[in-house]
Amino acid sequence: MKRLLSLLLVLVMVLSACTGGTTPPTSETPGTPETPDTSEEKPEDVEEGGKYAAEQVYKTVYAEEIQTINYLTTTTNVEFALAANLVDTLVDYDMYGVLQPALAESWESSEDGLTWTFHLRKGVKWLDFEGTEVAETTAHDFVDAAKYLLTPENESATANLFYSVIKNAEEYFNGDITDFSQVGVKAEDDYTLVYTLIKPTPYFESMLTYVCFFPAYGPFLEEMGDQFGTTNSALLYNGGYILSEFEPQMHRILIKNPKYWDADNIHITELNYKYNKEATSLAGEMYKRGEISDVEIPAASIDEWMNNPELKNQVRPSILGTYTYFYAINFDPKFDAQYEPENWKIAVNNPNFRKSLVSAINRVAAMQTQEPYDPEYRIINTITPPNYASQGGVDYTQMEPLKAITEGEFFSKEKALEYKDKAVEELTAAGAKFPVKILMPYNTNITSWANEAQVVKQQLETTLGTDYVEVTLLPHAPTGFLDGTRRAGNYSMMQVNWGPDYADPQTYTDPFERGFNYNFPEYTTDVTEDGQNIFEAYEALVNEAKAEVKDLVRRYELFAQAEAMLIENSFIMPYCVSGGGYMASKVHPFEAPYSSFGISAERWKGQKLLAKPMNMEEFEIAQKEWQAAREEALKEAAKK
Amino acid sequence: MKYILTRLSRSLLTLVIVVTVVFLLMRMMPIEGYFGASFDKLDEAQKMAKLNNLGLLDPWYIQLKNFYTDILKGDFGESITYRPKVAITKILGDKLITSLRFGLASLAVSLVVGLGMGILMARFKGKFWDKLGTVYVVGANAVPAVIYYLLIQVYFTNIFNLPLLYSKTDSKSWILPILCLSLVNIAYYAMWIRRYMVDELNKDYVRLARAKGLKNKDIMVKHVMRNAFVPMVQYLPASILYTVSGSIYVESLFSIPGTGGLLVTAIQRQDNTLVQALVLLYSSIGIVGLMLGDILMAAFDPRIKLSQEGGSR
Repeated sequence: MKRLLSLLLVLVMVLSACTGGTTPPTSETPGTPETPDTSEEKPEDVEEGGKYAAEQVYKTVYAEEIQTINYLTTTTNVEFALAANLVDTLVDYDMYGVLQPALAESWESSEDGLTWTFHLRKGVKWLDFEGTEVAETTAHDFVDAAKYLLTPENESATANLFYSVIKNAEEYFNGDITDFSQVGVKAEDDYTLVYTLIKPTPYFESMLTYVCFFPAYGPFLEEMGDQFGTTNSALLYNGGYILSEFEPQMHRILIKNPKYWDADNIHITELNYKYNKEATSLAGEMYKRGEISDVEIPAASIDEWMNNPELKNQVRPSILGTYTYFYAINFDPKFDAQYEPENWKIAVNNPNFRKSLVSAINRVAAMQTQEPYDPEYRIINTITPPNYASQGGVDYTQMEPLKAITEGEFFSKEKALEYKDKAVEELTAAGAKFPVKILMPYNTNITSWANEAQVVKQQLETTLGTDYVEVTLLPHAPTGFLDGTRRAGNYSMMQVNWGPDYADPQTYTDPFERGFNYNFPEYTTDVTEDGQNIFEAYEALVNEAKAEVKDLVRRYELFAQAEAMLIENSFIMPYCVSGGGYMASKVHPFEAPYSSFGISAERWKGQKLLAKPMNMEEFEIAQKEWQAAREEALKEAAKK
Repeated sequence: MKYILTRLSRSLLTLVIVVTVVFLLMRMMPIEGYFGASFDKLDEAQKMAKLNNLGLLDPWYIQLKNFYTDILKGDFGESITYRPKVAITKILGDKLITSLRFGLASLAVSLVVGLGMGILMARFKGKFWDKLGTVYVVGANAVPAVIYYLLIQVYFTNIFNLPLLYSKTDSKSWILPILCLSLVNIAYYAMWIRRYMVDELNKDYVRLARAKGLKNKDIMVKHVMRNAFVPMVQYLPASILYTVSGSIYVESLFSIPGTGGLLVTAIQRQDNTLVQALVLLYSSIGIVGLMLGDILMAAFDPRIKLSQEGGSR
């Protein structure tokens, strides 16, 4: 057998050599730009006690191919992560999350907070993918990009974020006005850009780091038409890197932009991404062979890494994300009659019933299906994650009354049973039937979710008893998943998630807005102690908070009160943040620009590759150092 | 000739039906799919703008009419979600060639090795070589391909110092994918040619030839081989053409930018234009492949006539 195989191999080699002859020799790709010889200009501090690697080239494999590099239309993470390194924004964040000048050297806002004037840096060049200078970046590029964004034919997925703050932008998008000069974005001269807002927006600066506020060179946009951003030659670059090669389902290579205005802070000279659909199964092997710089370790093979002393020393946690996950409790059930939606409606409007559910779920145990080693790392007690927003040097989740919630814990068997007893009494009087049927959908494409749903079902039924609740799991295919479940109101209780749109706690209130399709809280009939409908009370608080644009500390406190209201009344159960898991990586996790929102955190600016990867202990030390330094930096910035 | 013409028109009708059905089915998918993860973040105006641009708000018969007029003009349109705004022909062009190249190389290997092996097995029926070959055939069919693809990829690259992933410029990286693609096909060809040859060997004309004192080699090559090959010839054109559809596993594992799994991805992402183009392409290939197979078989074996008059089938 072995002989036969080796024989075959030889044959295959010979044959493939023959077929090789038929390939045109042009595969050397003449279009490839001359990669500037960066090997000689090593950043000075790279040798720093051997802490950093001598060769600053980052290599990785990825399984999810980007669909477009047109940053003016996309909203997907992988796509704007790429764009962040190719095109710069007006402002940026440093590694502690403090706002810094970028394309704008300075800026000021008017007394009423409606007019923002930006003074642009001179001499920032647009380059093409071969590194040839095309033009200078001017204020007009922001105006032209905005015009492109607000043209419905271009199908920009971020246009709504832009027109939610900029004056007359929505009217232009909808065709109510056709004169673009009325839209609140103007270039007073080449280096002065003015935005006019609809209403004072305290978080406007953070929005400027989002893709809808990116510049694009106008004449080039026009020349490219709808082909803008379809290939690397249909894009211009003024950021830290140039996309020198881009072949979908093959690879992409980013090389350092030698003419970048802040080139001194670009230490990694080349970013090399190779596509592989099975990257999750191959990356580990490739990392061990030294072919790639980092690997996310899938939950299935984490034990294998942790049991090998040499590999264990290279494993560290991954950084947390900003998507929030929570269990939504549905107030407008639209499911099949066999699951008794009317009965659920009675039950869900009883506070003791809702609280009994939330108290019965052990979230740490549920999280073990995803994070066997440190399940608590990702658990959060609030909807807005910690480290997301801060005001006056205090983190939002540390403001009252959220502080008490952040430090507490919902899970308690005793309390669950207490609530149950009360609920049984009250609900029997209200005419509800027991057991109450609970419909809980999950996406069949996500294995950990299927496991988690099983765990939660078991927890509810064993703690509260099957005479009280009966959980039915509803497996749903990934196609049309949300349309068939959450958005249709086809669930009683369900794990859902929400990603922020700007750096302000307001962004986490959006799913609970009247008419939105999360858990339809506006249908509640439950009332507060003084007889007001809970949702109306909540809505009033949120509106008050939204209107508070001067005293930002007060604004945050109002949002904190509103958020606490949803949690204390068990309208939802906070669960966890995105991210987490484990990785082995030569990348320093705390040197990247930090921002809870926007694309700054995706930039490679300021980062260096380590000579050897961090382990758990080193990660923890580095994290503490970073957290302390961040608090200092935030206080320092608050003083200004 | 008349036969070919009627066959062609019937094929065309099938093609139109298949493509129309797929076209209509795609229109019945939930609109959520066109927006992917950003659906919740968009407002109504944005969603309508996109659907309008795609022409999805027109009645279905108008959409169908537009689709066929475009096709007749040779315009396959632009991708919607897979790579928005990129022409379908541009996306498919490179991919088809890549898959075709690998497919043909593997087909050549499979045919040469597989037929050689099958002939050897038939000749030494019941002996050591036959048994060894049977072990391989059974093994290749019984063990799920994904498993040994992965083993081959990980171990062979280590042992022979070959690159893990495909590279356009490095011909060494082509060896393992071709090997993987060929393994099952070799077994397939070996199994069938052995079977047909063994069948033929038991027939009277072979006995007669033996009795007449022909050399074993001559009987094998001039008669048995030729007869045994006829049933296989029918499938050959289709196999060649089908190589453009690529291989899901091998292409994913080795990062080959071919067409493997493209149809599945396109359907998942609801890229209507891409799905339509692929369905059109694959169904045409299927139809043409079968037709060529029949013609080729008739050419190979004069006893077979395409029209009914011959009636010797």
